[in-house]
Amino acid sequence: MAIVLHDLTKIYNQDTDFPITAVDAVSLTIGAGDFVAVMGPSGSGKTTLLNMMGGIDRPTSGSVSIDEVDITGLADKDLVAFRRDNIGFIFQDFSLLPVLTAEENVEFVMQLQGHSASECARRAQELLREVGLEDRMDTVPAKLSGGQQQRVAVARALAPRPKFVLADEPTANLDAETTHGLLDLMQRMNENKGITFIFSTHDPRVIARARRVIVFEDGHVTEDRRQ
Amino acid sequence: MIVRLAWRNVWRNPLRSGIMIASMVFGLLGCLFMVGFVEGFTASMLENAIRDQTAHLQIHHPDFLLNEDLAAWIPDAEELAEKIRRTDGVQGVAVRQVVDGMMASAASSRGVRINGVDAEHEALVTGVADRIVEGGGLTDDARRPILISRRSARRLNLRVGSKLVATFSDLHGEVTGAAFRISGLFETPASGFDETNLFVRRNDLADLTQLTQANEIVIRLRDGSQLDAISPRVRELIGGGAVLRDWGEIQPVLKAMLGSMATSNRILISIFVLALGFGIVNAMLMSVFERTREFGVLRAVGMTRPRVLALIVLESTFLGGIGGGLGVLVSAAAVAVVGRLGLPLGAMAEGLGSFGADAVLYPSVPAATYAMVLALVGVISVFAALYPARHTLKKRTSEMLAERH
Ligand SMILES: Nc1ncnc2c1ncn2[C@@H]1O[C@H](COP(=O)(O)OP(=O)(O)OP(=O)(O)O)[C@@H](O)[C@H]1O
Ligand SMILES: [Mg+2]
Repeated sequence: MAIVLHDLTKIYNQDTDFPITAVDAVSLTIGAGDFVAVMGPSGSGKTTLLNMMGGIDRPTSGSVSIDEVDITGLADKDLVAFRRDNIGFIFQDFSLLPVLTAEENVEFVMQLQGHSASECARRAQELLREVGLEDRMDTVPAKLSGGQQQRVAVARALAPRPKFVLADEPTANLDAETTHGLLDLMQRMNENKGITFIFSTHDPRVIARARRVIVFEDGHVTEDRRQ
Repeated sequence: MIVRLAWRNVWRNPLRSGIMIASMVFGLLGCLFMVGFVEGFTASMLENAIRDQTAHLQIHHPDFLLNEDLAAWIPDAEELAEKIRRTDGVQGVAVRQVVDGMMASAASSRGVRINGVDAEHEALVTGVADRIVEGGGLTDDARRPILISRRSARRLNLRVGSKLVATFSDLHGEVTGAAFRISGLFETPASGFDETNLFVRRNDLADLTQLTQANEIVIRLRDGSQLDAISPRVRELIGGGAVLRDWGEIQPVLKAMLGSMATSNRILISIFVLALGFGIVNAMLMSVFERTREFGVLRAVGMTRPRVLALIVLESTFLGGIGGGLGVLVSAAAVAVVGRLGLPLGAMAEGLGSFGADAVLYPSVPAATYAMVLALVGVISVFAALYPARHTLKKRTSEMLAERH
């Protein structure tokens, strides 16, 4: 599996007098099983880049191919299905559905995929055990701590068996200790299950844990190193 | 899962949903009470008109319909009446001789219709016998008894036992008349009817008009809703010599009025439900707009537009369904209670008397109306979801995710 970005460009407000080039002709390849941090100052274009990789936003030009599928060419409807089946998302603010319990949140995407209720429940419980929340399955997000909510979010992202997980500043709302706990978890999933993680961050402690660091500035990749 | 999600989303802001539901309940209560009031009023008006005045069906000679001519009598009226009495669903058939004339006391005189009736059969057909408020009915032993309304008695300054002179033309066009003695006073809720009708024995009248035949046959059915089924059978018995008319043809104004009240009820309900619909639109707009980011997350993790639409429509339908359902339940209970106890109209009754409705109103709402309200609320709930849903769904997922609250 590989994610191949070719000449990827995003220009906001293109038709106005003040176009903003958030991502500027980026070409990158991310291999299967990698653990990648995209770092850069605020406004450098990290979110825009991740959104295009995840098929949430469409590039102005260039392409994103995932396992040879050029997702920039997919129709909206097919893109939604592609996201659902191939990409897991983790958000900075956790973004769990507040009216569903932890288990239901994890089951949700699997149900959209059309799995049976028992299959969804089985896998959701298994994943929640793996993220250490076996005793919180029936709890709603408001009654979970930030770290616990983000663990549920990790379980939700993994539930549909995606090819890779995109996380836009997943630790920005967590304290130092919880950040490490979450990184341990993501690393374990990466190492044990071979799931590719791509996350953006400002946080040097998070960067230190990545295997590959892509430094982003002003829409350009200024540094791309392995550590 | 979408259903569960929609249901829980409705209760996410219990105060807001509660207020919305309460406003629907009170709105429907008010609206359905109005409808029940009008329905009760018209039902009472119709019931009284049929009971006291027209009965369900009447038979006349075709010429009688043109000029109420005494000579336009119905051939073999008694025989025909007897045949009709044997028809299924017929409660009673009265044979009458009616003539227009004047009634006069020492004080004044007025134009009236003089109904020559046969008390025994009349009792099964019209309710005047039950409407006697003073004195008694047209008994056989009295000499020329007459029933007049309490209203007329007051105007003419008469009381039970007083003499009253009725004048009219006989079969040959000669003016004739006689003194009658008031045996009783009646009062129906219809003041107009009361002022223009009096009742005497048919044979007393026949002696004076020199016409033995009858010129009116009045039929009362056991169940008014069977009218359309029974009238063709009665029409068959009549043959060509006479004309059968139902209450609607006899009192077209009443029929038109009932029709227009039914229409105004439907309009009232539609306007109310439309207003409720705007309330739901408002509630849904607030609820959907403040969740833009959440919908963005749903789209990101793989929820298609039709599913998001379904979610919003379901939420709206749940909200409308709970409000509408509860509103109809509460209204039905309230209308049933008041419909049982009755609503005294008090001073208003006098004014409404000209419509012929009772002084105590029993509001009632047909089950079909409740069903219609529920159906309309359901439809409007779906429509109420469309605008907020469209507004959200036309946004790009990345835009929705960028939104912060
Ligand atoms: N919808 C938009 N319309 C116009 N400009 C936008 C839009 N979204 C982002 N931008 C601009 O594009 C540039 C990159 O934004 P982006 O959100 O990708 O940066 P980021 O690296 O994620 O920043 P942060 O670290 O603050 O999250 C910024 O200059 C931003 O103002
Ligand atoms: Mg960002």
